[in-house]
Order: sequence, then C-alpha cells, then structure tokens
Amino acid sequence: MQSLFRKKRNRPSEEATLQITSMADIFTIILVFLLKSYATSAVDITPTKGMLLPEAHAADAPVEALKVEISADAVQVDGAPVNTLTEFQFNPKELLTNGSSRLVSAALSRKREIQTAIAQANPDVKVDSKILIIADQRTPYQTIKTVLASAALHGFTDFKLAVVQGK
Amino acid sequence: MISGGSGGNSQDFDLNLASIIDCFTVLIAFMLVSASFLSIGVFDAGIAASGETAKSDTPPSIEVSVELTANQGILLKTNGKAHSSTHIVPAQGKRDLARLETELQELRKKWPDVQAVTLTSENQIAYSEIVLAMETLRKSVPGVLLGGF
Repeated sequence: MQSLFRKKRNRPSEEATLQITSMADIFTIILVFLLKSYATSAVDITPTKGMLLPEAHAADAPVEALKVEISADAVQVDGAPVNTLTEFQFNPKELLTNGSSRLVSAALSRKREIQTAIAQANPDVKVDSKILIIADQRTPYQTIKTVLASAALHGFTDFKLAVVQGK
Repeated sequence: MISGGSGGNSQDFDLNLASIIDCFTVLIAFMLVSASFLSIGVFDAGIAASGETAKSDTPPSIEVSVELTANQGILLKTNGKAHSSTHIVPAQGKRDLARLETELQELRKKWPDVQAVTLTSENQIAYSEIVLAMETLRKSVPGVLLGGF
C-alpha cells in the first residue's frame, strides 16, 4: 500500500482533471428531491407579500374557487382590490346593517352575476357556491365575519379557508 | 463527445459529463428560485345561518355550539334534547383545546347523530385561533359551521 502511494507521489502529473462523475450523482439527487417537493397543485394560491397564513396540520387539498384575500390593508376579490382596511379593520361607515360590507358585497354580486350568466349560456356549467378565503392569521374574527356575511348574501356558502400545512 | 481510445475501433469511451453538469446546474438554480416550499391546504367550513349546507332532513338530537372567549376560555353549549353549558377554563394560559376535544368526543358517544358543530367567537379573536379551534373540532365532528353573523 505504501509503495503504491509512493509511486503516485513520485509520478509527475501534468494535467489535473476534476472527477465530475460524483458531482453528477449529487446533482441528480438534488434535482430529484426538488422535483419531488415542487408544488404541483393545479390551484394557484399566491398570498400577497407580508401575509401570514394560519398553520394547521390536517387540511384538505385546495380546490378551484373564487378567491377572496384579506390582508392588513385590503380585501381582494379574484386579485382585484375592492375594499381598503385599516389594520385589518373595515371602515364602520362601509358596513351594512346585516353585517356585510357594501363594497365586498358589490364585488361578489358581480362575480355571482357572471357565474349565473355563464351557467345560463352553458348547461354543463353550474353555479358554484365555493369560495376560498385567504386571510392573514392576525385578522380579527369581526373582519372575517363581515367578508363571510357578504359572501353568504350572494350564495357563496361553501367556505374554504386556506391554511399552511404544518409538519 | 466520444473520446476514443488509442485505436479507432475501441469500445471504451468517456461520457462528457461537463455539459450534463451545466444543464443540472441551470435546472437546480431555476427550481430553487421558482419553487414554493409552502404546502397550502384548505379547511371546509359551512355557514351556521340559513345556508344550504346547514339544512338537514332529520335534525340532530342536540345542537352543539362552541364559543371562543377573549380570556382564552371556551364555552361549549348544547341545545335540543339536552341543554348544557360548559365553560372550559384556560390551561397554562392557553385555550384548553385538548379538553374541548375530550368533551366533544363524550358528546359524540352519547349523541352519535351529531354531525356538525357551530363555531363562534368574540370579535377581536385572531383568525389563527379560529383555525386552531376548527382543527380540534374536526377531529371529533366531521362538520364545522361558522356562526355569529
């Protein structure tokens, strides 16, 4: 063994080649791991910057539905801001007596009208009662209630609450 | 690509891995940048008002409602064939969700036809606590209805 090392040391090496076979192995493993952990869900849920979704351990797979997002300063319906909030709170002047928000209600009403028109034109399409609520975990229940009441007024009664799945 | 041996007909050749490594590096960089490692799920919740999902042909023997209070307490109420009100006090300064689960399991043993619980909360309670309570309720009862509006 020692003689073998001595032989190698004595041999003058002119060209140093990098052994990249092992590197290729490592890269393959990393690539397979990334492909496995890559989110492949058909439903695109992208919370806005700074939003903290609540964490839960056991949740169902997301489904395609009308998205309502509640962040610290706005309520968005399908990505379009419809109502401003101040520290997660609605302006009391915008609230109706039935507990809903005038602006959120109007936006959801428009969405419902579009869904109804599509359903009338195409018998294969049904009016969907599902609504996906993407809310920050710091949102008070008062604000959640207002949005849910606005949604329920227009037939969106199947609430889906988006959460981050913990380990 | 193929570097031949000493003779032209040699079967020994080395695969040029450098280009493969280049591809892998680009792919890994792209995936690391674009990958979302957050796994998002959803909780189903119905509406405890006069919504379609709350209706049933045969109403359950008892109606169970859970209210989260501001002082980390939980109020568990039953109406119908049995009237009761249990106040679950906080344990170590936190909501005692373990006891809520136990109480609900006992209720389900006694009244197996209970399929849904109405969850309400005081206005200032954070959404994260609602979700935590929902998760606990779903362990014992299949349906959770949000109420209070």
